[in-house]
Amino acid sequence: MIRLHNVSLAYQQDVPALHNINLKIGKGEFVFLTGPSGAGKTTLLRLLYGALSPTRGEVLIDSQNISRMVPSQIPYLRRSIGVVFQDFKLLHSRTVFENVAITLEVLGWGRGDIGKKVMYTLKQMGIESKYNLMPQRLSGGEQQRVALARALVNDPKILLADEPTGSLDDANKNQILAIFKEANVRGTSVVVATHDRRLIEQGHKRLVVLNKGEIVEQVEKEAHNGEKAN
Amino acid sequence: MNRWKKKPITAKKPTRRPALSGDGFGGRGGYFFRRALTNIRQNVFVNVVTIGTITLALLIVSLFLLIFVNLENAAENWSQRVQVTAYFDKDIPAKDQSLLRGRIMALPGAQNVTYITHEEALKRFKVRLRGQETLLEGVRPETLPTSFEIALTRSHRDTEGVERFVAQLKKVPGITEVQYGEEWVRRFNSFLAVMRLLGGLLGAFLLVAVVFIVSNTIKLTIYARRDELEVMSLVGATRFFIKAPFLFEGVIQGAAGAAIALTLLFILYEGVLYNAGNFLAFTPAVSGLAFLPPEYLAALLLTGSLLGFIGSLSSLKRFIDA
Repeated sequence: MIRLHNVSLAYQQDVPALHNINLKIGKGEFVFLTGPSGAGKTTLLRLLYGALSPTRGEVLIDSQNISRMVPSQIPYLRRSIGVVFQDFKLLHSRTVFENVAITLEVLGWGRGDIGKKVMYTLKQMGIESKYNLMPQRLSGGEQQRVALARALVNDPKILLADEPTGSLDDANKNQILAIFKEANVRGTSVVVATHDRRLIEQGHKRLVVLNKGEIVEQVEKEAHNGEKAN
Repeated sequence: MNRWKKKPITAKKPTRRPALSGDGFGGRGGYFFRRALTNIRQNVFVNVVTIGTITLALLIVSLFLLIFVNLENAAENWSQRVQVTAYFDKDIPAKDQSLLRGRIMALPGAQNVTYITHEEALKRFKVRLRGQETLLEGVRPETLPTSFEIALTRSHRDTEGVERFVAQLKKVPGITEVQYGEEWVRRFNSFLAVMRLLGGLLGAFLLVAVVFIVSNTIKLTIYARRDELEVMSLVGATRFFIKAPFLFEGVIQGAAGAAIALTLLFILYEGVLYNAGNFLAFTPAVSGLAFLPPEYLAALLLTGSLLGFIGSLSSLKRFIDA
């Protein structure tokens, strides 16, 4: 599903943000990317949704080499990838419903179908009663669930999350993790970049540790909770 | 406890293939237009600022045009006074008159020919010497020469045109003298040239300023909504899909701004000029001031829409293609 082969990326010459990354994430896998600030977690995610191109190496999503894609092909790639961020990136001039509907409008769905699917997804997230509110009237956890609904409403193959629980309390973190797991059970590959140890421990999933732009450690889910395998 | 988890999911997951609204431009065009209207409703402040700027800018342009069009009208009226007088040393019999008239009318540039008899010439002279008519006592009509007064077509009213016509006219047998007020024609044409040059320069400056102000205002308003562009791009919208509603919005803003500007101009024209007429006797009817002709109004509406479209397009290029 996702394959990075000898990927390096430098924002400036001589300062590599990622160096010689080799990584394989299978269909339906759940991976935590972790590491200190500046380790390259966000850069790696940005590579996966085509916001950046590697300086060297290949990034393959579903056997498509996105390092060679022309800009006009990127939108079509993103339609199978859901992305969520720490700051939610919701549109404050639109209601919860409209924020989620954007994804389906882009796909060209009819209004009737959009209504049904958006309400269904909001219900899954437990925020269907807030559909007509503006995002700024919601709590942080609710806003993140709206962002998740927007990312998941079209049943993407891949869900990428960049510090999704960075600004949330423990109760909300649990809810968000449960949503990730639910999406994963339905077949979506999930990649979560976080340095939240608690979230990783509760997740019991594969762990990839980055430091200074390199993968320094990989822990399989079987070896979690103490034992580590390189 | 998680309230959201406890809630049973009753809605059924839609299973049939969703209908696509994007088949053909009609579907998407309708969507983009609706989206643009919704965006205007959801971003009232930035839209009021943009429409207000376009209104003010186009009001200035249309006021300038109103003045320019009326000056051109006045110049057109004055230019009708450019005429050539051909004098004869003797009376022309009626049958020769029509022959000569035909010859003169056949010359390129002649619009209208009027025969001035001895009596008519004296009458005009008396009018010119009003108050000093005694000077003309004893002057018999025959003393004054008969003449043809020739009005020229518009294309022959400039200095070169008049001179070309006069050279041709002098070749017509029987004409002894030709007068056309060379100095006045020259001055009038210089005045027209200066007025058009100044008008053109001022108009060009105004247009550049308007384009600059409007495109920068739109740029700022789009900058304020750059998160929208980012989110659209994240969920897989193509550049065209992101741009189209903004372009529709630009056209609507431009057309609305132009329509408001023209309405204000009309109110100004009707209100100020007609009210001024009450105490200054300066009504449009008396002064001959006209409102902008329909083709100018249509052109201004089109200019407004184009301004909005081009302003949005250039601003989006900066944010999306970067």
